[in-house]
Amino acid sequence: MATAAMSEIEQVQDLTALVDGLRVLFEDPEFKVVSEIKRLTGKPIIGNFPVYSPVELFHAAGAHPVGLVGAGNQIEIAHADSRFQSFVCSVIKSTLELGLTDRLQDFEGIVFHSICDPARNLASVFKRNFPDKWVEYIHFPQNLVTESSVDYLENEYRRLLDRLQELTGKTVTNADVNNSIALYNTARSLMGTLYAFRRDHPHILTTRELYSLVRAGHILTVEEHIRLLEHALRLVRTKPGHERDHIRVILVGSFCEQPSLDLISAMEEAGLDILDDDFLLGRRWFTEDLPTDGNGVRTLASAYRDRSVISSVKHDSRRHKGDELVAQVKSSGADAVIVSVPKFCEPGLFDYAIYRRALLDAGIPHLFVEYEEKMWLFDKVQTEVETFVESLLLD
Amino acid sequence: MRYFAGVDVGSTQTKAVLVDEAGDMVAKVLVDTGSNVVKAAERAFLEAVAQAGTRREDVDYIVGTGYGRFNVTFGNDQVTEISCHAKGIAHVNPNVRTVIDIGGQDAKAIKIDATGDVKDFVMNDKCAAGTGRFLGNSAEVLNLSLDEIGPRSLEAKVPVRLSTVCTVFVETDILSHLALGRSVENILGGVHSAVAARVVALARRVGIERDVALTGGVSRNVGMVRALEHHLDVPIYVSPDAHFMGALGAALFARERAMAVAG
Repeated sequence: MATAAMSEIEQVQDLTALVDGLRVLFEDPEFKVVSEIKRLTGKPIIGNFPVYSPVELFHAAGAHPVGLVGAGNQIEIAHADSRFQSFVCSVIKSTLELGLTDRLQDFEGIVFHSICDPARNLASVFKRNFPDKWVEYIHFPQNLVTESSVDYLENEYRRLLDRLQELTGKTVTNADVNNSIALYNTARSLMGTLYAFRRDHPHILTTRELYSLVRAGHILTVEEHIRLLEHALRLVRTKPGHERDHIRVILVGSFCEQPSLDLISAMEEAGLDILDDDFLLGRRWFTEDLPTDGNGVRTLASAYRDRSVISSVKHDSRRHKGDELVAQVKSSGADAVIVSVPKFCEPGLFDYAIYRRALLDAGIPHLFVEYEEKMWLFDKVQTEVETFVESLLLD
Repeated sequence: MRYFAGVDVGSTQTKAVLVDEAGDMVAKVLVDTGSNVVKAAERAFLEAVAQAGTRREDVDYIVGTGYGRFNVTFGNDQVTEISCHAKGIAHVNPNVRTVIDIGGQDAKAIKIDATGDVKDFVMNDKCAAGTGRFLGNSAEVLNLSLDEIGPRSLEAKVPVRLSTVCTVFVETDILSHLALGRSVENILGGVHSAVAARVVALARRVGIERDVALTGGVSRNVGMVRALEHHLDVPIYVSPDAHFMGALGAALFARERAMAVAG
């Protein structure tokens, strides 16, 4: 299977032009490429709301998992405000707006999980407003210390898989799950290679470019995404670049609602070389390849607990987020941290308290900025970032 | 003599300052920004050159600052207004550690060290509450000029409490107070107190460390200075050139950079 978009992208030999093409693909609120994938493959489409979703299970069950990360600044919110309070973040409202404006007609189902109160309620709101849609909610374990948390999550995944099999009509074997794990291992490994390249050469592979390459995987099939990442890696390795008078930073706080691509560019142009970030974390959730020869469902459940990134939406009493951030800064050689949190994001704002204390204690400069996905103008953030850069470079 | 210029393009007014080789201010000009930001920047700069009695070609380096800093198209460089206000105030009073800058459409609190380096800062959100615009709208509703409202606010005996800090809805609030027979002075007392409370809440996010200075266009409003002192319970330093601190800082950056280039 090859979508027209992917066939065109594979002909592009310039990374900047390639990213422009990808942007059209993932910023499209009409999901035209998703419609094409559905027509070409006949697979039901399942929307995965951030942050983490076990995409391997959807793939194994014969569905196409699409990362549903709001609508960015592409649509006006004209209906969703009537369902949510004014102090709820933008990604909740824009995702609902997509549904209320009939833009999710190609989606058979949507999956949510326990990120925060509005996200939890969004699942109920979808169920109430779209009774014909397959809406699921994954209850991830909150206590990750005990071995029984893996048993619990395996059972939860099997419940999800049963529901998925009802939807797709496919009987899923253990081999199916392991095959899907292998495919997503490959995609994740390629993204990891690109992340490592960006960390070492942020003036060659910009965050705008890397973000676009990862975000495209929210729309494309995993098979096409792997081809895209391999193609991009070839282009990146021959791309010229000049080192800039920028400061090197780690960016945290943008794990759920995403800033617009132009805001990412504005921050880079204001003087940041971003060495690592938590954008689109769900598709980069596991820290290493997962085994493909065991009980696939249990492998995924176990990896959620023991082989995954720390995040504001996952409470793990064995780990300290502040210490891990400080270690990440030191190991990457970053100068500072940007805590970039969406407006009204409770998990992000709660974690800022942890990060702030750890960074102050470690003597690592940081800047806190707030954004909304619907932003069109970035002068405030740009001024804040420029001032922060000046305060470090002019010292 | 060589000169160095700073052009601070604010949302309401554009300021230009020239300093000489010693860093002394030799010209300062204020013009309305209007709709053509580039022209306002050029006009302010050329008037400053004329005021200094020098020629355009004697100005070695120009730094643009303010929200329209990238519209100083004839300049050599841009520096943010936060860095420039810090630089400017440290030049005129090295004891200042906290700068509150209230402009036409924004407010900022900046923590600095003795050399004018920025240690921390915070900007207001996209909202005119706590900015000069709030005061401007209030003056308009009361049919007063901006220069009048500060001194008259000091005559308030029982300042009113406003139920909103929204720049749009404050008009309704003021009209309601007028209908209830409240004096203009008491209403202005309430208006200034509301803006001060908003700005002080912002400033507390970086921490208040003495000395505290007020810069930006609103520093010309004596009622605002007193209201801030009341809410902060510390005296506030206001330079006679407080309105020009951003442009002065930019000119000082221009001087440093020109000298660095010259070696």
